[in-house]
Amino acid sequence: MAPVLPLVLPLQPRIRLAQGLWLLSWLLVLAGGLILLCSGHLLVQLRHLGTFLAPSCQFPALPQAALVAGAVALGTGLVGVGASRASLNAALYPPWRGVLGPMLVAGTAGGGGLLVITLGLALALPGSLDEALEEGLGTALAHYKDTEVPGHCQAKRLVDELQLRYQCCGRHGYKDWFGVQWVSSRYLDPSDQDVVDRIQSNVEGLYLTDGVPFSCCNPHSPRPCLQNRLSDSYAHPLFDPRQPNQNLWAQGCHEVLLEHLQDLAGTLGSMLAVTFLLQALVLLGLRYLQTALEGLGGVIDGEGETQGYLFPGGLKDMLKTAWLQGGVACRPAPEEAPPGEAPPKEDLSEA
Amino acid sequence: MALLKVKFDQKKRVKLAQGLWLMNWFSVLAGIIIFSLGLFLKIELRKRSDVMNNSESHFVPNSLIGMGVLSCVFNSLAGKICYDALDPAKYARWKPWLKPYLAICVLFNIVLFLVALCCFLLRGSLENTLGQGLKNGMKYYRDTDTPGRCFMKKTIDMLQIEFKCCGNNGFRDWFEIQWISNRYLDFSSKEVKDRIKSNVDGRYLVDGVPFSCCNPSSPRPCIQYQITNNSAHYSYDHQTEELNLWVRGCRAALLSYYSSLMNSMGVVTLLIWFEVTITIGLRYLQTSLDHVSNPEEPESESEGWLLEKSVPETWKAFLESVKKLGKGNQVEAEGADAGQAPEAG
Repeated sequence: MAPVLPLVLPLQPRIRLAQGLWLLSWLLVLAGGLILLCSGHLLVQLRHLGTFLAPSCQFPALPQAALVAGAVALGTGLVGVGASRASLNAALYPPWRGVLGPMLVAGTAGGGGLLVITLGLALALPGSLDEALEEGLGTALAHYKDTEVPGHCQAKRLVDELQLRYQCCGRHGYKDWFGVQWVSSRYLDPSDQDVVDRIQSNVEGLYLTDGVPFSCCNPHSPRPCLQNRLSDSYAHPLFDPRQPNQNLWAQGCHEVLLEHLQDLAGTLGSMLAVTFLLQALVLLGLRYLQTALEGLGGVIDGEGETQGYLFPGGLKDMLKTAWLQGGVACRPAPEEAPPGEAPPKEDLSEA
Repeated sequence: MALLKVKFDQKKRVKLAQGLWLMNWFSVLAGIIIFSLGLFLKIELRKRSDVMNNSESHFVPNSLIGMGVLSCVFNSLAGKICYDALDPAKYARWKPWLKPYLAICVLFNIVLFLVALCCFLLRGSLENTLGQGLKNGMKYYRDTDTPGRCFMKKTIDMLQIEFKCCGNNGFRDWFEIQWISNRYLDFSSKEVKDRIKSNVDGRYLVDGVPFSCCNPSSPRPCIQYQITNNSAHYSYDHQTEELNLWVRGCRAALLSYYSSLMNSMGVVTLLIWFEVTITIGLRYLQTSLDHVSNPEEPESESEGWLLEKSVPETWKAFLESVKKLGKGNQVEAEGADAGQAPEAG
């Protein structure tokens, strides 16, 4: 049976491999730590912005998966550091011999699989942000006035703080506020003719004005903020509603939030890709090191050349071996079986 | 009679040196922290220098930066000395420098204590600078077309939003100044003309505040104009309404921010207790190593003390040595004369 991708490893290249592996493992630890920090940051941001995303949005799954993937990468890196350190020191290596095999399998299957899944999420999920933000922001704006309705009483404060912090107004522009009743009915004077006219002028009976809340105001504007009667050219001196409004924030909160979250997801995605590469290299290196040292029988300082390989045989051979080993374990020892049969089977299992 | 004598055998000396080495490296770390705190405070003061009339005193952050650097240097040197102290060959190199080094350390501790005290005490001058600066800032709020002051509106607005405050001492400060520029006033309107005529300086004063005073936690949309006129707004009483605008004045808000910064820095600077312990430990190490009872055997016992004689005797000896420095030349001259006289005679 020919080993898959064999590599001859005399003593010096083995040492070089171990040292390079040590360095790569520390880089992997760093990358895993960075992923933990980045996904933690994203989770905190999503906690604050949770009201503006529709509840059905799957986006929070990305930082949660990245958190686990980062932790696994960190663990793999630490194992790599320990194993490469031990492979250079004859006294330290024996305890690692038994553990390394299962750890490699766990690292490849678990860690690798997790990273691939998370990368897939990082590519697919940001697309769903658009609709989620559309729905979430629409609901928040509609509930701006409901400051005494349980469950929505925080909407006003959150929308105001969002507009102040992210320097945006409305969903796609300040005119979104003209289509929403953002003044609570508690503070509307029912005896005022203007109020009655406005309420009767539309089907749903909403009090709509051409004004915006104070949080839309842009401090960079040279004039004190104009919030009311924004469609009326004669209401304020030197104010033309047809010109772009310098007074208020020009961007809509939808665009700002979308860009912000997509940027964060993109950063996380690129870090995950780099970690995937590093982890693959570390696991490959560890496998070669392990098989080379097994060839020497676990003696580190042996001067002889050994071969490191990925798999002892091709896929078919591996499956056959696994099947036979499983079969031998299940069936009771065949004492009455003819001795002719047993030796060939043993040969097969050894090869 | 030596002050606070302690007996030291080799093991104790080794432990003392090791403990001192560790403490010195902690102090280096603390020195780095103090340096970065001083830098942070300096940047924060710079950021808000517009509302402080550009006349704020940078004494505290500068001294913190200096202390941080000095602490790093001294403590790493002391760490090296402690590391070498157990090797007689290496220690002989340091021997002549130790006494002056200890004197410098004592001075450094005194200066560190004074700086820590300053952190707590400079609150008063900051309050005055802030009050002056904010008043001027609000005066220039409307001058957005005057070069050199055009940024004041943005600065004050961002300040009020970030620190959640309004005006100098409260929102009523805005009623006393004209914060709306004449460019944006409609002089053909009767209301504007009345207001301008109603006061001696011809200013347009309103009972209104800029938008940055608004409190987002208020349940109703922000009332910025006609604040004191209850009938102008439905279901509104300006005397019981608390959530509409920020209640705190910006002077108090900024002052409490800077005070808390400086207090926390003052606490950290109280690492002087650490430094004092290190100086005392170093003194014990020096005296115990210098006075090993049997010089041929470095492992033998020795005594360490703080001062060789009691405090009044040490003070007298110090004064004597200072006097001798002054009389140094005279003694030599007398000696020369006495030398010549026997020769002549």
